[in-house]
Amino acid sequence: MNKHSTAFFCWMISLLFISGCWDSSEVNDIAIELAWGIDHAPHQQIKISAQAIVPSKIAGGQSNDSSQSGKGKPYFVITSDGMNTLDAVQRMQTKLSRKVFRGHRRVIVIGEAMARRGIKDIFDTYSRDPNLKLRTDIFIVKGDTAQNFLQVSYPLENIPGIGVLGEYNQAGTASREMGLLNFLLAAASDSACPALPVVAIGMNPVVADEEETQDRTEPDHEGFRIVGSAIFNKELKLVGFVNLEEGRAMRWVSGNLKKITVSETLPQGKGNVGMDIIKTKSKMNAAYEGGRLKINVTLTGKGAIRENNTNLDLTKTSNISYLEKALNRHAEEEVRQAITRVQKDYGTDVFGFSDAIRRKDLTLWKTIGEDWEEAFKEAEITVKANMTVRRIGITGPSLQLNPKEIRK
Amino acid sequence: MRIKRRSSSVRDKRATSFDTTHLPTGAYGELSKELSVNEKMLREAFQGCSDIVFRPMHTSPKSLLIFTDGLIDTKTLEKVVLKPLIFDGHSGGPNDLHISSDIIQAQLVAVSKIQTVSNINEVIDGILKANICLLIDGENKAIVADLSGFERRAVEEPEAEVSVRGPRDGFTETLRINTSLIRRRIRSPKLKMESITLGQVSQTDIAIVYIEGIVSKTVLDEVRRRIGRIQMDGVLESGFIEEFIEDAPWSPFPQIQNTERPDVVCASLLEGKVAIMTDNTPFVLIAPMTFWTGLQAVEDYYERSVYTTFIRFVRYSLFNIALMLPSLYVALSTFHQQLIPTNLLISIANSREGVPFPTFVEALLMEFMFEGLREAGLRMPRAVGSAVSIVGALVIGQSAVQAGIVSAPVVIVVAMTGIASFAIPRYNFGTAYRLLRFPMLILAGLFGLYGIISGVFLMIIHLNGLRSFGVPYMSPIVSPVPHTIKDIFVRAPRWMMTKRPEFSSGTNVGRIPDGQQPSPKRGGGGQ
Repeated sequence: MNKHSTAFFCWMISLLFISGCWDSSEVNDIAIELAWGIDHAPHQQIKISAQAIVPSKIAGGQSNDSSQSGKGKPYFVITSDGMNTLDAVQRMQTKLSRKVFRGHRRVIVIGEAMARRGIKDIFDTYSRDPNLKLRTDIFIVKGDTAQNFLQVSYPLENIPGIGVLGEYNQAGTASREMGLLNFLLAAASDSACPALPVVAIGMNPVVADEEETQDRTEPDHEGFRIVGSAIFNKELKLVGFVNLEEGRAMRWVSGNLKKITVSETLPQGKGNVGMDIIKTKSKMNAAYEGGRLKINVTLTGKGAIRENNTNLDLTKTSNISYLEKALNRHAEEEVRQAITRVQKDYGTDVFGFSDAIRRKDLTLWKTIGEDWEEAFKEAEITVKANMTVRRIGITGPSLQLNPKEIRK
Repeated sequence: MRIKRRSSSVRDKRATSFDTTHLPTGAYGELSKELSVNEKMLREAFQGCSDIVFRPMHTSPKSLLIFTDGLIDTKTLEKVVLKPLIFDGHSGGPNDLHISSDIIQAQLVAVSKIQTVSNINEVIDGILKANICLLIDGENKAIVADLSGFERRAVEEPEAEVSVRGPRDGFTETLRINTSLIRRRIRSPKLKMESITLGQVSQTDIAIVYIEGIVSKTVLDEVRRRIGRIQMDGVLESGFIEEFIEDAPWSPFPQIQNTERPDVVCASLLEGKVAIMTDNTPFVLIAPMTFWTGLQAVEDYYERSVYTTFIRFVRYSLFNIALMLPSLYVALSTFHQQLIPTNLLISIANSREGVPFPTFVEALLMEFMFEGLREAGLRMPRAVGSAVSIVGALVIGQSAVQAGIVSAPVVIVVAMTGIASFAIPRYNFGTAYRLLRFPMLILAGLFGLYGIISGVFLMIIHLNGLRSFGVPYMSPIVSPVPHTIKDIFVRAPRWMMTKRPEFSSGTNVGRIPDGQQPSPKRGGGGQ
């Protein structure tokens, strides 16, 4: 009995030692990196930049109770070239006293030049490493390098990398916070093409039309802004950008939109209305008619009127349906424009039409799937919006209006 | 009643193998008819015992009163024994009676508990147990009468088990007072109190208390057998007994419950458990104990069930915190940083800047100091107790952080753990968790979450193998019967708990009739 239990005990103890985690590291022995930049470097190499926090300069700690400000940025950017990501990280490590810890990476930014060259060959490590999260979000830096983007400070956040996440979420284009996962899914799909959000350095655009100008902002320019979406083709090469509105429309169609604000000028009643739409959904129907693919997109959404700069009394249902009609028309127009633009300019299916068709109508997909890119370019796409006003706020007509002015 | 029961059991023991360690050598034997012979024997026996009083009385015939000073109510002794004997028994006195033991027993000594003995050992026993002993010349019998009147602590509120609602009386150091507190609550002849004398030298009274018809026979027999096995020189506290009769002496978990509260004992008796009461200590043992009783407070049954259920939820969460929070902190911050939310990790990283020790050492150090602080606060005289808390709170809490010796999160973690461990209602159950925290911490420091999981598994395996008097420690979870679950994670209203837990009550499980839920239909509307 005694011998047996001793043997059992030893066995249990040895179990502890033969497996388990031996990679213990103290929090002050790791360099916590929150944002990660990928640029291309000469000679087929890539340049990796990392934005790591400097813990002692974060406010609210015990180690620096006095003279908090003026101590410098709470983050720093470290850059290194390499044949591939791992190689670059290894070289980067020679410049760091602490081990790079990638488990908390929230943001991956990719320079425009790198994106245009294609990112198919560099993405393996981001899904292989068990420390990394698939919830990381990916952004494309428009007209600049990722390294420059990471150097930019941001007034609201300690770590600027977190700021871009927040901006993205606030922009109304909030998709599920799973940029990397969605990107990989779209990239691995037969026909769908991934789209990624785009940031530009600087809070205020110097030139209004960012589409055309290669606006060279200085690296120390403060802040950054979301400017739309980047469209990729099947080789994962950047083919072009769409602006913010088109980006929203794109997400609405592909079902990745959480909320959107639609404003529309009314044709007859003087003024305009604005509506917050939540519960956005989209439905696609496809048919092959007369040698041409016809896709019908139905968008639905429920929302609340937030602004009513008209003299309409919103407690009347006739007025509500009038509003709904106008808003539908607006949404239809906007989405159709976006689709047409992508169709004509880039010809890549970032909307997920192909997956929708394959799920719904396999036989149809088998006939057109071979030559999907052509079929998509040629397709006739109609958009129908069907929005419902659920709430009108706490007043019917605007309160500043004289009762006589109000149209019942 | 009491004397008879006790003496009969004592006599049974003597018949087989009477232990005489506590008696002077060669003193036992029958009483002689000669008073002088008896006196000589007793004086020899009590040689050097300055508290034994020999009071010769010149009655006819001569008599001798022996008692232990301090154990006897002297006023009563003078009034009901000395006065009648001296006035009525004296030759030439008012009545000039020729006294004999029969007459004294029948007429002279007005004491309720009185008996006649003929063995000198019984005389010695009686004297030591707060009786007076009267020896009369020419009689080979002695009168032993209970006149105990020693100093007793009054019934007070128990300090270790406080409750907001519920009775405030607690056990004292006197067995008889303690049994009376039980008897006042359960006025049934089915409430049995078996007396045993334990301890060869100390001769301590033990009572095994149970309710006939409810108690589980197997548990009761087991209790009797285990207590009967004990051979000990002295029993000073119920813990002495506990260590002899528990199932797994090396387990950190207590397998016998102890309490200072008579209401807890009564509730346990009504569930079919057995209580073991020891003289000279307010702590009563209750067997069998299960894991869950360690997490139930007495007030659970006095407060309303909805609130109690919530409190139980809080308590169960806290007891997990008490066991695992420091080890979780160490495991997460040294092995699995990616599991900590980013902002939290940043602030932890910030506070760890410049701290000289690894997190594991830091946590171990603070836990150790906390245990030290607790122990010091417990043993210090009340007057200096506040000094301990000032030193603890200021020096260790604040200065250590400011000096950069330890990081603030560790102090917070240790403080939360401390609070959580005090939320475990049974003190001796809480100590088990305080003890297990350290191995868990070491496992976490060496192996991370894997170590914690291993530790938890080992603990669960151990708990499931543990038994208390034949009852599985984890019952009723190990073999759930629906009605017993009503008192584990939730506390069902009393009208729903219609049955007693089977593991302790054997066959008699019916407790209250069904269908007593108050509702307007049942005429609860005051009509």
